[in-house]
Amino acid sequence: MIIALLQGFFGFCAIIITAYLVRHYIFTLTVLKKSKNRKTQTAPLNASCNPTVSILIPAHNEEHVIEKILQQMSQLTYPKDKLEVIMIDDASSDKTGQIADEYSKRYNFIKVLHRDKKIGGKGKPAALNAGLKMSKGDIFLIFDADYLPEIEIVEKLVSPFSNPQVGAVQGRPVVLNEPENILTRMIALERISGYRVDQEARNSLGLIPQFGGTVGGFRHSVLDEVGGFDPKMLTEDTDLTISIYGAGYKVSYVGEAECYEEAVNNWRAYWRQRHRWARGHMQVCFKHSFNILKSKKLNLKEKVDGLLLLHIYFVPILTLLSLLLGIPLIVLSPETPQILWFIVPVTLYSFVGNFAPFFEVGIGAYLDGRKRLQWLAPLMIFAFLYNMLICSKAFIDVLIGFLRGSQGDWAKTEHLGKGKSYISN
Amino acid sequence: MKIRNVLAATLFIEIAVVCLFFAYRYVNIQSTIALMLFNGLFITIIFQLNGSFAKKTCLLALGNVLGAFWNYLFFQLINSGEQHFGRVFMVFYALIFPFVNVAWVVPFWSLSISFLTPNTEPQGKL
Repeated sequence: MIIALLQGFFGFCAIIITAYLVRHYIFTLTVLKKSKNRKTQTAPLNASCNPTVSILIPAHNEEHVIEKILQQMSQLTYPKDKLEVIMIDDASSDKTGQIADEYSKRYNFIKVLHRDKKIGGKGKPAALNAGLKMSKGDIFLIFDADYLPEIEIVEKLVSPFSNPQVGAVQGRPVVLNEPENILTRMIALERISGYRVDQEARNSLGLIPQFGGTVGGFRHSVLDEVGGFDPKMLTEDTDLTISIYGAGYKVSYVGEAECYEEAVNNWRAYWRQRHRWARGHMQVCFKHSFNILKSKKLNLKEKVDGLLLLHIYFVPILTLLSLLLGIPLIVLSPETPQILWFIVPVTLYSFVGNFAPFFEVGIGAYLDGRKRLQWLAPLMIFAFLYNMLICSKAFIDVLIGFLRGSQGDWAKTEHLGKGKSYISN
Repeated sequence: MKIRNVLAATLFIEIAVVCLFFAYRYVNIQSTIALMLFNGLFITIIFQLNGSFAKKTCLLALGNVLGAFWNYLFFQLINSGEQHFGRVFMVFYALIFPFVNVAWVVPFWSLSISFLTPNTEPQGKL
């Protein structure tokens, strides 16, 4: 009986992990095919689409980086009479607010919203909701304080909104401090696979490209329709992505709209950031999975992709369980066909590389012309093993949170402004 | 395609097939399936990239030689381990088997793609 249960669970894990493997294989082939057809051609900008735009920059103690992004904002090529930049100083105790005030005096399209410690400091969704009330644009875009957008990014990001079906857009983050250490280089590889392949393919296949919380934006009316940002969610971006699809709109991915970010540069910060992502993703999964299944606005392939997207942080846990379950099965049931032992390990190693198989990472780097960065792909196994622990801990925390009725605190990522140049080799 | 490239490609494909047969005959079914999966991924993905057909088949053959040899060594290690430590050693085998295959598949994959990556340096837009 126990052996049968174990074998059943082992088979279940194998099927789930294989489904993800096939999904990413399809993504890889799709992007390869698309790159052959388009080569270096970039998406044409829609010149007739120039709505009023509000850019929201939430910042909590970001004195090391805030000046850089505000400087970049001052150089945006989008018509300034249709643009407003709202810097949300979310209860900062450093010089973030002062630096922003200086820019606000110099440029009249830059505004600062100060939130004191009584109402501020409660996480990004709450800060964004405050900024949203102040904004007047038809479209609003969000950038984290450590991001440096290219100067034409607004034109590129608002272009898809000429299609009334599009409720949100997502651009492409590129790691700026990549040369700093081995971890930042590995995160750069993760980003390449996640955006150059994953998001691009989902966009091309008509699935669910995900709004990533930054380097993207929304139609103001759509956000009002879905009720704004849910301050209880740790990953408000994923929550909104699903809500937008549930309301009958789409998210469009614009790979040409690049924005440069500072990746976390140590394993402790990596744990904190990924733990929040995993925990938040699991919250959203519990909130939306049933809604996706019963939604009449989503077609079958969107439902399947939505469910796979929401459950992706459970994959490292399943992989860990599969490995551990192999031990009692070998001991208790030596007569089990050898092939059974093989299925999960193979899918496991195919998944090495933190939520993207090695072949997807490789093709992403290839398409970006990243010759030497390729060589680091084998090291991603360490990030994957680390993510097994992170996701398992996050799952336990989510369960405890449900029992206690708490959603978890927002873990802020510290940014030091170390990214100075974009190096590609 | 030049005749010498066709001949070279044919030779490399034969090497890959021989490696598969070797893995099936002298190693075990797991290793054979690992090689088959590697070949499937390699042919459907890497064969679409830039580079001559002969170069890609050469890389495929090299991958098969490496994979078959690697798995053979590991298989011998496991056999010795099982004789000395008994069935408990099989637990160890099951746990590390995927990582042993990662250790040759992923580096070889990365290296192969870097050989085929065009020498164009992308520029940042800042």
